[in-house]
Amino acid sequence: MLEVRSISKGFAGVPAVNDISFEVSENEYITLLGSSGSGKSVLLRIIAGLLEPDAGEIILRGEDISKRACHERRIGFVQQKYALFPHLNVFDNIAFGLRHRNNDRITDESLITRKVSEMIELVGLVGQEQKMTGQISGGQKQRVSLARTLVTSPEICLLDEPLGALDANLRERMTIELQNIRKELGISFIHVTGNEFEALAMGQKMLVMSEGHIVQQGEPQTLYTMPQDLTTAKSMHSFNIFSGDMMADHLKSGLKGKAPSAKISRASHCAVRMDKIDIAKPTAKASGLEATFLTSEFLGNKVIYFFKTNDDRICEVEDHMSLSEPKHLNPNNAYLLSWDAADMLLYDENKQLIS
Amino acid sequence: MRSNKGTWLLLAPGMIWILLFLVAPLIMMVYVSFWTQTTFSIKPDLTTQSWVNFFSSDTYFGALLRTIRIWLTVLFVTLVIGYPVALFIGQFIKNKTLQTALLVTCVIPFWTSFLIRVLAWRPMLGKEGAINIILQKIGFIDAPIEVLLFTELSVIIGMVQIYVVFMVGPIAFMIGRIDESLIESARDLGASATTIFRRIILPLSMPGVIVGSIFVTVMVLGEFATASALSGRKVNLLGNIIITQVGSLKWAFAAVAGVVLTVVMATFVAIMLRIVNLRNQI
Repeated sequence: MLEVRSISKGFAGVPAVNDISFEVSENEYITLLGSSGSGKSVLLRIIAGLLEPDAGEIILRGEDISKRACHERRIGFVQQKYALFPHLNVFDNIAFGLRHRNNDRITDESLITRKVSEMIELVGLVGQEQKMTGQISGGQKQRVSLARTLVTSPEICLLDEPLGALDANLRERMTIELQNIRKELGISFIHVTGNEFEALAMGQKMLVMSEGHIVQQGEPQTLYTMPQDLTTAKSMHSFNIFSGDMMADHLKSGLKGKAPSAKISRASHCAVRMDKIDIAKPTAKASGLEATFLTSEFLGNKVIYFFKTNDDRICEVEDHMSLSEPKHLNPNNAYLLSWDAADMLLYDENKQLIS
Repeated sequence: MRSNKGTWLLLAPGMIWILLFLVAPLIMMVYVSFWTQTTFSIKPDLTTQSWVNFFSSDTYFGALLRTIRIWLTVLFVTLVIGYPVALFIGQFIKNKTLQTALLVTCVIPFWTSFLIRVLAWRPMLGKEGAINIILQKIGFIDAPIEVLLFTELSVIIGMVQIYVVFMVGPIAFMIGRIDESLIESARDLGASATTIFRRIILPLSMPGVIVGSIFVTVMVLGEFATASALSGRKVNLLGNIIITQVGSLKWAFAAVAGVVLTVVMATFVAIMLRIVNLRNQI
């Protein structure tokens, strides 16, 4: 339905997005994960028509819309900071596009009222219609912003870090609501975020961006369990990455059972999931990577233990409360960390997964 | 109770200042306007004679109408010239340093004295002034345009040049504060540039227009120097009337003109503040 072909854009000679291509199908929720400065917002603005690409094409339903003005693309864009019109109330904010768009402007006020009311009901803003935007909460602003875009029936809706400014509770609720709203309307969303949990939870397809490139795309579960690229593994914030001279030694000590020597010899980096590492007290029998326990963080449903290896790297171990009781470790004492070969991912010098 | 006392104590200096230097002089001015004025003296015997004289005299009532006409013309022209300049500075110049530099450029004429700024128009607008010479040289006109100086037009030109910056500043400030994301959202929602200007930029810049209009109004209504310097004392505004009356010690009559000016200004400011709630906007 939407095809992004070889899009590139630079600022003052520095590339922000570089040769990016991907496709969006009908009725699909795509999440685009990337750290700040990765180029994800620039890409979104190019698709929306707010920035002109240096090269590449954007094809919507077989038609090249790259040269079309923003207001003629029929692509909705929900801004990160909501960008609500402060001089208009909630109703007029949502009705703005219907009343004032250049093409297919609706002049029948009763039709506008009906469409806006339906949208207000869908996003759960009933009773707030006459309030000014300064009188509503952050979550409600987010809904107004979304409703204002969706009421114009765009072919596709782009969301730039839509939950970024919300508190954790509200973010969780909006995660579910966004998905429900999208399903109800049956249109495709591209949701840009810097939060890996948001990207994993919401996307049917997930794209990981780094330094202006898409490093991997696919189903969230695949990207999480088997990141093909080391950057993808890093963006999940769930892996301990071992690189450099000490890596082979770490692997030799930390691995349970037989080490895949051939693969290790080709590897430059190694990623081990934080929740797949066992902690043991050093005894004569026990083996593992020796590390000093620093501190722990209790997060309710899980505990994260922080260790320092001999080469001064921080290694994190995650224990889910549903699987085990919290461990009582003594700070500054040595412990042994170990993991199964199956839970270890090895990457070559080009940061690609060694299969 | 203590906090109440504290509040009053904190408020006291401001209140005393306003009472002494605003409320008391205003009351005094209204009071004096009803005093009895004779040729050489003024007595506090209350009479409406000065008021009757003011509104029944063509000279004085005419000056009031002229003042209002010139004020509204200057206000309109400063808005018509000032708004596009402010729009350019606030919306089209994205670099904040350049924005500030351009606003500073607007106030460069203020680095010299008010009278020099006004009088500088004489060699520009005169019969043998710069404008007439240039127009004649390029063959646009055969004879010099005489209406340029010592007329109501020259007063308006002078005032517009002097006061337009007071319109540009507040509007540019308000336009500069409009978040770029609002414009982008409106574009994305399908609005054309004209619609964005009408529906977003114009309403959001209205507080600037109001503040600018109040500045220009207060200054133009109290004007007397530009009018006498550029009209050769032919155009008399209420400000000129006050100066003349005070000069000839006719305090009661000057007070009447002062009260009338204050009422016109206060009415305008009140109407403007009703249109836009500045407290919500700034």
